[in-house]
Amino acid sequence: MTYFARRIGFFVLTLWGAVTLNFLIPRMSAGDPAQAILEQVAAKDGYVDPAQLEAVRAMLGVPDASLWSQYVDYLGNIASGNFGVSYTYFPYSVTDVIGDALPWTIVLLGTTLVLSFVIGTLLGAWVAWRRNTGFDAVVTVGSSFLGTLPFFWLALLLIYVFAITLGWLPSSGGYSGAVEPGPSPEFFVDAWQHFLLPAAAIMITGPIGWMLGMRNNMVASLGEDFTRFGRAKGLPARVLAVSYGARVAILPNITGFALALGGLVGGTALVEQVFNYPGMGRLLLEAVGNKDFPLMQTIFLFSTVGVLVANLAADMLYGLLDPRARRKETA
Amino acid sequence: MALVEVEHLSVDYRSRDLPPSHAVRDVSFSIAEGEFVGLLGESGCGKSTLGNALLHLLDRPAHHAGGSVRFDGQDLYALSERDVNRLRWREIATVFQSSMNALNPVLRVAKQFHDAMDAHGWREGVDGDRHARIREVLADVELDADRVMRSYPHELSGGMRQRVVLALALLLRPRFVLLDEPTTGLDVLVQRSIVELLRRIQREQGFTVLFISHDLGTVLEIADRVMVMYAGEVVESRPSAELATNPLHPYSHGLLGSFDDPRAEHVSVAYIAGRPPALTEPPPGCPFAPRCPSRLAACDDVVPTLDDAPEAAGPGPSLVRCHLFTDVGAAELGAGTVPETPRFAEVTAWSGAASSAEGREPLVVVEDLVKTYERRRGLRKERVEAVRGVSFTLVPGQVRALVGQSGSGKSTIAKILTRTERATSGTLRVDGVDPGSLRRAALREYRSRVQMVFQDPFAALNPTKTVGDSLGRPLRNYLGLTGDALWQRVLELLESVGLSPAATYVDKLPHQLSGGQRQRVVVARAMAPRPRLLVADEPISMLDVSIRAEILELLADTVREQDVTMLYITHDLLSARLLADDIMVMRSGEIVEQGPTAQVVREARHPYTRSLLDAIPRPARAGAVPAGPTATESTTPTGAPA
Repeated sequence: MTYFARRIGFFVLTLWGAVTLNFLIPRMSAGDPAQAILEQVAAKDGYVDPAQLEAVRAMLGVPDASLWSQYVDYLGNIASGNFGVSYTYFPYSVTDVIGDALPWTIVLLGTTLVLSFVIGTLLGAWVAWRRNTGFDAVVTVGSSFLGTLPFFWLALLLIYVFAITLGWLPSSGGYSGAVEPGPSPEFFVDAWQHFLLPAAAIMITGPIGWMLGMRNNMVASLGEDFTRFGRAKGLPARVLAVSYGARVAILPNITGFALALGGLVGGTALVEQVFNYPGMGRLLLEAVGNKDFPLMQTIFLFSTVGVLVANLAADMLYGLLDPRARRKETA
Repeated sequence: MALVEVEHLSVDYRSRDLPPSHAVRDVSFSIAEGEFVGLLGESGCGKSTLGNALLHLLDRPAHHAGGSVRFDGQDLYALSERDVNRLRWREIATVFQSSMNALNPVLRVAKQFHDAMDAHGWREGVDGDRHARIREVLADVELDADRVMRSYPHELSGGMRQRVVLALALLLRPRFVLLDEPTTGLDVLVQRSIVELLRRIQREQGFTVLFISHDLGTVLEIADRVMVMYAGEVVESRPSAELATNPLHPYSHGLLGSFDDPRAEHVSVAYIAGRPPALTEPPPGCPFAPRCPSRLAACDDVVPTLDDAPEAAGPGPSLVRCHLFTDVGAAELGAGTVPETPRFAEVTAWSGAASSAEGREPLVVVEDLVKTYERRRGLRKERVEAVRGVSFTLVPGQVRALVGQSGSGKSTIAKILTRTERATSGTLRVDGVDPGSLRRAALREYRSRVQMVFQDPFAALNPTKTVGDSLGRPLRNYLGLTGDALWQRVLELLESVGLSPAATYVDKLPHQLSGGQRQRVVVARAMAPRPRLLVADEPISMLDVSIRAEILELLADTVREQDVTMLYITHDLLSARLLADDIMVMRSGEIVEQGPTAQVVREARHPYTRSLLDAIPRPARAGAVPAGPTATESTTPTGAPA
């Protein structure tokens, strides 16, 4: 039990550290958000009246107070779920803006991540079981090659073929303007069509890392003494492959998976940019471009918390799956 | 009828870039039902490969290259994988070399018993209650079944894991059990208990055993019959008692000579110079010829066959592969000539040799040394008292042995002396200074004067650095040598550890050297900065028995000729008896007995010292059969206990 208690203790401590850093870092960077917002408003001529600037500052509540009282306010706001107003999407609150973007990211990246993990791990185990055969060589070398192809190139290729040449699928966006977002069948069909291309682009290279990792770990675990001993015991191939080879080999992959799930909250700027997908990655890009402090901070906070929670989950899971980890901790 | 019959079995190691290596060459033997056979040989002689071939478990790059293995009349290499699997564990079980790692780390022990039972269709009606059977085998190996079954492997000690594996092997009442180095890597006292357990269970249950080991004493003591392997071939097969008292093959002589009873008045051991041949191209004659002191002209170009030994060898079934006993050899020797005892290079105990140490100032003075480690366990702190109140002195030109089993605190003392750890309390003076108080330049200077020889010569050298680089580094760092002076000193060092001509070794990488040569390089490196104190931590335990004496001799010469002080850390009383002037026996952080080596070893007072001595296998106790009347005085190997 100590193992789990310690993990949770660490989690709370790092969480506090992350929240605090998240408060400090944007305040140290140069640039004036009010200036930025006005430049956007007056994008054409770039001229900003100093009086206008003051007005915007007052409206945004840009900090004049001491750092400490800002910090206290900040913590209080986080606790109550109030992340302020987005500069970019004024007058919408940050919570609203993120609430719109997050589901898109989670559905797209979550689905593809789970599928990549499952396909990659299963394929890796299969290849490892048939190690040093022609099948192994073809799959390993083939996927290594595929893995070197740049994502954007694959994505553009898919768009070119399926959206432009064949015209089967839409080339960008999360849904088309013709359909009202909501829980209607039409909307789901429309979103599904928009989902397919980015998902396919991710899935081409997604499983490769999981597969290679699983293959290499399992080749090692199949070469271990305990597996040889299992063979000498006359265990059936199925038991050797599953309980001796894969069961031990999957542990690092599971940690990796949990961490990847955490990273998912931050979205993937590249995918979302290429497909113009309305997720967290694009939101972050916009926030950074516009010096939208409240939005930026909140996205960072979400990603950090996501990674930390995933870390905690990975540790917990590892403790459950690998009896040795629990022991090391208490020793 | 024999239970296991091996005929003309050959195993090759094949790889794409290198010519195939013939690891097992045309081996034939049989093992009768209920027989306990030992297979003895040094690393690389093919004994484990042979074991794997018997189990039909050869893994790439090893390939079955011909011959048959019959188990109860069925040729394993003619059966399908399914049928072989059916024989496994029900009939043929095994205990592997590194059983520390033989249990699946993520499954509970109980599960690993059940999966074997499931794989072989355990029928409650016929075979009995499965839980009762697991309890029974665990009780046989003297384990607490309730505790062990619920445990994961890492929760058990090395000795317990070894017992679990043994219990697993006996689970389905197999007729044949192959034991491949089952005690290697375990603590001496634990080794002893496992060997005794093994022999008792085998006597009670009557299964057939092939016991593979490099540990000559254990094999001779436990087995009914022993086969000696060299360069992929069986060179001698004799009842243990006869082999122990009257070995025929010169190689067996050499192996036995590497062994002696440390309690004897005069202790001496032999070593076999040279190393086994590469097996990519088997030599045209006897593979042992280049290392053999009794070599005949025929040995260089006629391959000897494994034939019946002369009747004078003893009443048991005896086979030997040596021209001293073939017609070819007889023609050369002259009919009726009794071959002379082979004479190998030999070293006699240096300990107690008239020493110049009388009245010399000690270099190292240790008084009431204490080292306590603290470790956290949850929120509690736990104290481990590794060393509790140890006092001794070390005198230049002398060797003091520190003997004890693993966990007794020996290595902690080494760490404090080399200043990688600091003592918790007590005083330590090396050449008048306390190493614990040293900083920066002074500490650096101190480290050049205190050097270490490590246990594992394979891990102690950087595999990517040549011998010259390894030796040059301390010379540059500590003595500031460069250019020609550095080069000269490297060559001198190599010559001084017997690697001659030195120029041929300078550019070699560690993997191109044998274990003994590597350990010589390690000693040379330790001597490079001209240290005053040498701490040798088990420097020979990883080496083959036939070359251990060679390294001991080197250490002894180094101490005497260069007037250094040595602390020799070991669990092996024989080597301590050979090398050390004084001995300290350590247990649980305390020194329980110390004094001049011969006195402590021969008249041990403390029960712990005696239990360590009792753990040493004695080949003379081999088997139950007394030595035959034909065993003559003249063929007693040099140094073997009478």
